[in-house]
Amino acid sequence: MIEISRLSKRYGAKTAVDDVSFSVRPGRVTGFLGPNGAGKSTTLRVLLGLDHPTSGTALIDGRRYRDLRHPLRTVGALLDGAGPVPERRAIDHLTWIAQSNRIPRRRVREVLDLVGLGDAAGQRVKKYSLGMGQRLGIAAALLGDPEILVLDEPVNGLDPDGIRWVRTFLREFAAGGRTVLLSSHLMTEMAETADEAVVIANGRIVARGSIEELTAGHASLETAFFALTEG
Amino acid sequence: MTGAELTKILTLRSVWIVTGVILALHLLVSYLNVGTNIEAVRAITPDGTIELFADDPQPAGRAIIDFLVASSFQMGLFLPGLGVVIAGQEFRTSQLGQTLLAVPHRGRLIVAKAVATAVYLLFAALVVAGASTAFMYAAVRDWNPGLLVSPDAWLGQGKFVVFAVLTGLVGFAVTMIVRSTLAGVAVIVGLATVTMTQLLAAFSPALDALFPLSAGRNLLLDPVVNRLSASPVHAMAVLVAWPLVTTAVAAFLLARRDAR
Ligand SMILES: Nc1ncnc2c1ncn2[C@@H]1O[C@H](COP(=O)(O)OP(=O)(O)OP(=O)(O)O)[C@@H](O)[C@H]1O
Ligand SMILES: [Mg+2]
Repeated sequence: MIEISRLSKRYGAKTAVDDVSFSVRPGRVTGFLGPNGAGKSTTLRVLLGLDHPTSGTALIDGRRYRDLRHPLRTVGALLDGAGPVPERRAIDHLTWIAQSNRIPRRRVREVLDLVGLGDAAGQRVKKYSLGMGQRLGIAAALLGDPEILVLDEPVNGLDPDGIRWVRTFLREFAAGGRTVLLSSHLMTEMAETADEAVVIANGRIVARGSIEELTAGHASLETAFFALTEG
Repeated sequence: MTGAELTKILTLRSVWIVTGVILALHLLVSYLNVGTNIEAVRAITPDGTIELFADDPQPAGRAIIDFLVASSFQMGLFLPGLGVVIAGQEFRTSQLGQTLLAVPHRGRLIVAKAVATAVYLLFAALVVAGASTAFMYAAVRDWNPGLLVSPDAWLGQGKFVVFAVLTGLVGFAVTMIVRSTLAGVAVIVGLATVTMTQLLAAFSPALDALFPLSAGRNLLLDPVVNRLSASPVHAMAVLVAWPLVTTAVAAFLLARRDAR
């Protein structure tokens, strides 16, 4: 269970997130929708303890991320601002992450195979394509076999096959009673993956509900999205 | 957690490259000196004086140990660069974000990183000291090889290793503060310049003595032949204070700043 309550974040004079509250329940995929610069990544960075909130709280099972002892065993995350050194081999990248949270070494191989990077495990990350890099990020998020996944634009750079794999994976993951929060600005993708959505624009939550509720009265989630986020 | 940080160090190519360059330089300089040293040892007078440097006769045993330690010390001046590279990897792209996702407790993280860095620096310093000893052995083996394992030699080498680890940690902590490898290198080069040119020492030895590499000089070199700016005890205090203070500042800033 993720609970974000009255969260604000300012960078200097710029208010990136403005009094945002919502919660994410287990057993379903929750989409976090919004146009570029809406404040999605900022909200997730604060949730994951990377940035300090200016005010408000973001809690995971009632605790701040910072206070989790081996956080990767509870929460798996994929973020733009958290990645490998390009000169390191993918397998080494995952190995140190596993060690840091006392995750058994064999998980490294397992997640590499799971995301389809088994054959590229020994390559330096700088040789990776965009999509391979994204798969490596997903592998890192899955390493600790977490109850909660927080993914910032996970399908960025993935080919159709990869997109379908992520969609199926996340749906199964949530169906098993776990929690998924994923951000995106791709409406069609979100309509097929998420059960419900939280819509953010200009740092404020403008709508939330199930995909059906959000789409009601509009031709598609996409037109609903434009109606909600414009103006 | 320290294990994870050690893995990060050992699986990073630039760490091995910098280590290799420092060692290669050390081997080259030692190799260029070994001929002169062999000659000088051969020419030790019956009353036991040696001229390792022309027209500068010294008691042989002590001069040889001083030379041994000074040759390690020269390379020790580059070891903070290793600390810089180790810390700098976090800021090279966006590894810091991944690191803090894995270990969000900033204090615990800094301690783990500092310990792992110290372990690697210890390894590098021991290799440098070992190489210095091997080359000196070539010079003294027919005269007095036992000299290299005498208490004075162990003490000198030990002081070098302590110096190397402590100043290497300064390179690490400073880079965590300035958040860039390049800026870290700039700070370290600045500190090294103060010591190597002895600019400050000319008009304010007390000030010079507060700089970490100068403190290394004061700890390791022989006051009879070198103009030093403080006592070994003072030097040791300065050498310990630098990594402690800079690491504490790095931890404080890491906790205060957003992770970028
Ligand atoms: N470090 C920073 N310093 C200053 N402003 C920032 C910083 N990070 C984000 N911002 C600003 O905060 C706002 C929200 O940015 P954020 O990255 O959270 O948006 P986003 O919803 O993730 O957008 P996108 O879909 O493009 O990823 C933007 O206006 C951005 O310019
Ligand atoms: Mg974003």
